[in-house]
Order: sequence, then C-alpha cells, then structure tokens
Amino acid sequence: MVDWGIPIGAGIAFGLGAVGTGFAQSKIGSAGAGTIAERPETFGYMVVLVAIPETLVILGFVVSAMMIIMLK
Amino acid sequence: MATSVNYGYVNARIRGMKSRLLGRELLESLILKPDTDAIITELGKTPYREEIEKAAVQHAGLACIEVALRMDIARTFRKIYSLFKKEMDEKYARILLNRWDVHNIKTILRGKNIHEPSSEILGCLIPAGQLDEATLVELVKQPDVRGVIDLLATWRIIYSLPLTQHFKEYSEKRDLAVMEYALDKFYFAIALDTIRGNTDDDRIMREMVATEIDVTNIRSVLKMIRDRIPIEEAQEFLIPGGAVLDEKRLVLLVKAGTIKDAMKQLAGSPYEFLGQVPEETFKQEKISVFEKELERFLIRKGTGWFFGDPLSIAIAIGYVWAKFTEVTNIRIISRLKMADVAEKIIREELVYV
Repeated sequence: MVDWGIPIGAGIAFGLGAVGTGFAQSKIGSAGAGTIAERPETFGYMVVLVAIPETLVILGFVVSAMMIIMLK
Repeated sequence: MATSVNYGYVNARIRGMKSRLLGRELLESLILKPDTDAIITELGKTPYREEIEKAAVQHAGLACIEVALRMDIARTFRKIYSLFKKEMDEKYARILLNRWDVHNIKTILRGKNIHEPSSEILGCLIPAGQLDEATLVELVKQPDVRGVIDLLATWRIIYSLPLTQHFKEYSEKRDLAVMEYALDKFYFAIALDTIRGNTDDDRIMREMVATEIDVTNIRSVLKMIRDRIPIEEAQEFLIPGGAVLDEKRLVLLVKAGTIKDAMKQLAGSPYEFLGQVPEETFKQEKISVFEKELERFLIRKGTGWFFGDPLSIAIAIGYVWAKFTEVTNIRIISRLKMADVAEKIIREELVYV
C-alpha cells in the first residue's frame, strides 16, 4: 500500500512556504513599486528586498526534499 | 477593519515625497540669504527647481516665489488625490484637501468684503483643494461677495449652498462671520458624515477633524469674548463635534467674560498652552497671538500623524501638513526678507516639523 503521509507532508512544507513568500512579496513589491516611482535610484535596494522572502520557499523546498529523500 | 486602499504602495510613494521636503538646514540657509533673488537661486537647487523656472518666465522677486509655491503645492496635493483616486477610496483625500477649498473661499470673501486688490487676495490662496488655480483666479476676478457666491452657484460647487442660504443675513448685518461660520459648519458636517465608519482610517480622520473643530471653536470663542457678543448669539456660532470641547464647555468659556479666565478653564485639556501666553496678550486681547499658537498646535498634531500606523491614512495626513508647513515657512521667509525683518524674528515665526 502507498504511504501518502510523506508526499503530503512534503507538499504542505513546500506549499505553505510558497504561499508565505507570495504574500510577503506582494506587500514588499507594492511598497517597492511606490518607492521606485518616487525615487528611481532605490531600484537596486528594492530588487534585493523583494528577493529576501524567496528564502521562505527555498527553505520549504529543502525541508520537503529532505522529507522525501530521508524518510523513505 | 480592513480598507480597500493599498497603503503599501500609496504610503511608500508619500514617504518618498516626504524625503524630498526641505530640512531645517535649508530653511536656515534661506533665512541667511541677503535678498529675494538669492532665495530664488537657492530654491532653484531644491525640488522646487521646475516650478521656480516656470514662474521666473513671467514673474520676478517675491511674485516668482509665490507663484512657484502655489504651483508646487497644487501639483503635490493633486498627486496625492490622484493616488487615492486610483485606489478607489479618495474620500479621505477629499476631506483632507477640501480644507483648503474652505480656506480659499473664506480668503476670497474676506478680500472682496474689504475691497482688497485681486493680486493681494491671490497671494494668500493655497490651491491645494479641489478648486484649481484657474477656478480660484476666476473667483478672485468677481467684483464683490455676491459675484463670488453667484459664480460658485453657477458652477454648482457645493460650498455655494451655505453661502447662498446665509447671504441675506450677511447683507443685513454686513458681518462676514455669518457666512464663514456657515461654511465651516457645512464642511465639518460633510466631513464627519463621510467618516462615520468603524475602520481605523475613519477613526484617525475623525480625530483630526474633531481637533480642527475644537480649534475653530476656540478661535470663535476668543473673537466673541473680545467683541462682547451676547451668550445667546454666541451659541449660534459654535460648531458641534469637537474632540475635547463640547457645546456646554464652550458656552462656559464664553461666559467667562475675559480671555484670561476663559483660557484658564482650558487647564487640563490639550489646549492648556493657550493660558501660558505672555500676560500683555491677555490685557491687549491680541487674538492673533492665540491664533498663531493654535495654528502651531494643529500643524504639530497634523505632522505627528506621520509616526502613526504606517499602513493607514495617518501617513497622508502627516505629509499634507508637513508640505503645507514647508510652503508656509518659505512664504514667511521670503516675505519677511523682503520687508528686511531681522533673522531672529524670522526664526521665531517659523514652525519646524
């Protein structure tokens, strides 16, 4: 019988990380767009700030990958 | 409760705009300039450059600064209005900026009432509300108070309603306060009606509008005491909806009889500072000193909102007041420099935020 527990857990770990990243990036992105509209010289900083929440989804991916690989 | 405004975007833009406001050092350098032309040159190196260049084509000296400041504040506040309009929730911006429509209409009516030249009236206007500069210029061109009200009514501008209703009373008494009071009452009634909701933004706006009502009422009380207006008549000039001072407390202030006694009664309220003005101000009944203190209080209260909730209307309120203060400060510096007033006195007249 197939054990669905591990893939579902991995999916949750990755999915919630992605949702968190999307939420954070939407907020930072809109504020960043506003800032760049007024001060174009801040473009570089804004790219970095928008990219920071990516760590959430990367961590989620790493955790889900570890679950699939190590809990076989 | 959530609102429909994307404050992340709007407030980031407003904060970006705030970062371009002139600092204390620049105001100090303007004070130290020898004449108006040097002030124009200095302003040409600031974010006012574009407006200064446009104004310099047709005007020179003080007129150049005045025109540039008017263009700049009109452009800035229109931008704020458009930011909120794009976010489909411009009611707060409308309340914030319409304050200057009321100020402008009152200034025009006062000017026409005492037959001031149009250029003088125009110099005192702040085209920051929904009435743009072209509209204000047309209003100023009218020969008298009646002409101004008729033109407002022809253009179906809502402020013509209270003015038309009270024009007869004004004609009989020849007292402009009747119409000014009606205009204030009308504006505050609309503002309070618009922000009756339970959102955080409504609460913040209500607090600011209620404070403005308090300040307007205190000004009225001071004038009524000075002019020895009977209490029955005085009650008609009080605007309901203040933050701290309700009608009962305001009546007690009027009943105090002297400005000093009335101001003593404000002890324990946010307006306590009015009781601490120099003693001779009470004796000479100099209302202008109290008005200046109240204006400073309102500016500090308004700009203080900038440190409020970063995802609310508070940031816009703070910016609007900070921008208004900056323009007022530059106006004061340029006018007093023109009149060759000492630098120490100029510094005392400014409000730093």
